[in-house]
Amino acid sequence: MALEGVRILDFTRLGFGAQATLICGCLGAEVIRVESTTRPDPIRVMPPYVPEPGSHGEGFGAATLANAASAASPNRGGIFYKYNTGGKRSITVNARHPKGLSLLRDLVSVSDVVTESFAAGTLDRWGLGYLEQVRARPDIVYVSMCGFGHEGPDTAHVTMGPTAQALTGLTFMVGLPNRPPAGWSFSYLDHVGGYLGAVAVLAGLLHRARTGAGQHIDVSQLEPATALSGALFLDALVNGRPSRRPGFPAGNRRPTNTPGGAYRAAGDDRWVVISCRTDDQWRSLRAVMGDPPWAADERFSTMAGREEHAEELDGLIEQWTSQRDRYEAMELLQRAGVPAGVVQDAADRLERDPQLAARRHFTMLGNDEVAALPLEGMPVHMAGTPVDTGGRLRRGPPTLGQDTDAVLTELLGMKEREVEALRAEGALS
Amino acid sequence: MTGAVRDEHAAAPPNRDAGTPLDGVRVVELVDESAEYCGRMLAGLGADVVKVEPPEGAPSRRQGPFLDDEPGPDRSLAFWADNVGKRSVVVPDGPDGDDALRALVGAADVLVHTLRPAEAARRGLDHERLGPALPGLVVCAVTPFGHSGPWADYQADDLVLMALGGSMAACGYGPGPDGVYDTPPLAAYGEQAWRTASTYAAIAVLAALWWRDVGEGGRGQFIDVSAHECSASMTEWHCMTYLCSGSVFRRGAHPTLAAADGQQVAALNPDFLGPHVFANMLAMLEEEGVAGPLSDPAFADPGYRAGHYGEVWRAMKRLAAANDGERLYRLGQSAGLPWGVIRAPEEVADDAHLQARGHFVELDHPELGRAVTYPGAPFLAHGSPWRMDRRPPLLGEHTDQVAGEWGVRW
Repeated sequence: MALEGVRILDFTRLGFGAQATLICGCLGAEVIRVESTTRPDPIRVMPPYVPEPGSHGEGFGAATLANAASAASPNRGGIFYKYNTGGKRSITVNARHPKGLSLLRDLVSVSDVVTESFAAGTLDRWGLGYLEQVRARPDIVYVSMCGFGHEGPDTAHVTMGPTAQALTGLTFMVGLPNRPPAGWSFSYLDHVGGYLGAVAVLAGLLHRARTGAGQHIDVSQLEPATALSGALFLDALVNGRPSRRPGFPAGNRRPTNTPGGAYRAAGDDRWVVISCRTDDQWRSLRAVMGDPPWAADERFSTMAGREEHAEELDGLIEQWTSQRDRYEAMELLQRAGVPAGVVQDAADRLERDPQLAARRHFTMLGNDEVAALPLEGMPVHMAGTPVDTGGRLRRGPPTLGQDTDAVLTELLGMKEREVEALRAEGALS
Repeated sequence: MTGAVRDEHAAAPPNRDAGTPLDGVRVVELVDESAEYCGRMLAGLGADVVKVEPPEGAPSRRQGPFLDDEPGPDRSLAFWADNVGKRSVVVPDGPDGDDALRALVGAADVLVHTLRPAEAARRGLDHERLGPALPGLVVCAVTPFGHSGPWADYQADDLVLMALGGSMAACGYGPGPDGVYDTPPLAAYGEQAWRTASTYAAIAVLAALWWRDVGEGGRGQFIDVSAHECSASMTEWHCMTYLCSGSVFRRGAHPTLAAADGQQVAALNPDFLGPHVFANMLAMLEEEGVAGPLSDPAFADPGYRAGHYGEVWRAMKRLAAANDGERLYRLGQSAGLPWGVIRAPEEVADDAHLQARGHFVELDHPELGRAVTYPGAPFLAHGSPWRMDRRPPLLGEHTDQVAGEWGVRW
């Protein structure tokens, strides 16, 4: 695997930070999650709960971080499984116990990378800030991932994905004209921030290999988002055309993709997207629809004409799509060379998407407490170094503290009885 | 080893001598608009990214919006956004161009392309041919569906990929009072499926370079990135919710508060982070004089609060009506609430926090006699600063320069 031999001491929690180390784990790095039994990662104990075999859990609607502590076990929180594949190991250490802290410094000394996603200053208060890490390991690569980063006037601000999405323009970019933005229903920036966290880990390692020097890389949830708006940012700054203008954002309309958008298919709230970028694709779409007479209208013969009459055109096309099963419509259109795709939900991706199945997008993985589930990893295929959702250990997400004994004996050369003594003293809680 | 330890809290200027993670790494980019973001990232990390273009220029040069709305290969803002930091080489159409391309690839460490298998083979760029001849080369193909599977030859733009990947099904407005959805699922602007795929491609290239140069590998390899798969893995808890509960999340907008100036502020339920947040919020609401019935001690009980959530929401609305968006955002944050004002993409340029972090970069466009502000480094790495000192290339601007520096002739 590509990152074989790289060891990451991982203090991340929730989605943003854990996404970064999930990627590193799938690439073969040894990721050691440092956790707490008294303050577990909230997503370990948040609904939806991984059900007992044959039973059903609660929906996400009931989820709050606040009711997290009420979960029966720190190994049932469903969202944990999304973000903690990659063969991550889990150890529990009490950083507030002097011997726990000393143990963590020892672990830093045998690690290449430290990752964390606490509020700025948390590791400093523990006595594990960057300067302490450097004392243990002079060339450590330290990647912090927190909402507003560790420098700047607003570092105390609290973010969830939707907060950062609002502030950086991403929420604004989803919506229909003359309505408030619809935004994203999920934390897209937990993913994007995590991707950039993985870039930071790799950049830090490559730079260390060239220079011998480690460093602290400060990843926030804001900077990874600012270039995601592409030309909109420049159109406003250079041309003086603000995004906040009548008619914008315009739903699923894009420049030069008319007809384009989501069209109703047969069934309840079922949709298929069509996006014709060329005259050829428009002609193919007409042919698939059986060349209805209205489609030969001169007004629809050019992209400019179609854009001018887009709404009328959409209604006519929907008369065809709404009579058809969404997958059937996609197949008919794709076979004719028309860009088209079903608006797939989670169940569709897991159960109906033949491409994801053929590419082995999901991997069945479980652990001692839960049955195997189809889990996601890093969705890239590398011919020379396998990318494995189970990581270097080829296993599912860890139960809380599953690897404490193994890590301390293997990496620090401790004896079983020494580990037991630490546990008895409360250093491993 | 020197210079690794610095005082974290001192704002240090970027250290230009520190070098970059990809110093000396040569990247040839032969891509359409779906994967230009990958090269932008590799350039920021210090790679010499050479964009190989046909005589008429890459497709994104013909994509609007344009500078002053006048089309032209060097005037596309879409091109500017994703090609900052690269160099441009033009190769002729036909066999001569393919020879030139192979010469450039022969002098490179990385090739990023967006070719389907058949087209890659036709241009002599399939890994079966390149691998044996150039064992050190990392080849990364970014395509809509990847190089295998039943959909490998299907057509997709970003909109189609946002649909198939699942984020679209989860974004949009909620149903009407009758439970019927009268608006469609929505995809975000900004080509997010393409950007996600490009980012994953950059990660994979970095990992491949690590394995080649530092790890056990000693050789390059082929990387197959499917934008569909990348798009399918960005929806946070949705697959887990289905697996755990059997129910599928259905779209609906997050709650927002309308501020006095018409701005919207994303406002999560204050209890989301824990009951202690309510106490902080109440103190702030009282200070602002809008707490109303929330000052009743009964509201200190989370159970009572949950049963009277309408009053909590009404108090937040009173606060919103008395403040403009930026102030409302900061009032919420002062109470520990994860609120954020909904900004248009360009409005982030006014954010004092990001300005203090030195995020925005002005690049000189000498041929236009003006400077342009770009979003800069995606993170702060004082030990190896993000490289952002080259404006997007003019078409063919570096053809002779690269040929000379790389020692290739065609």
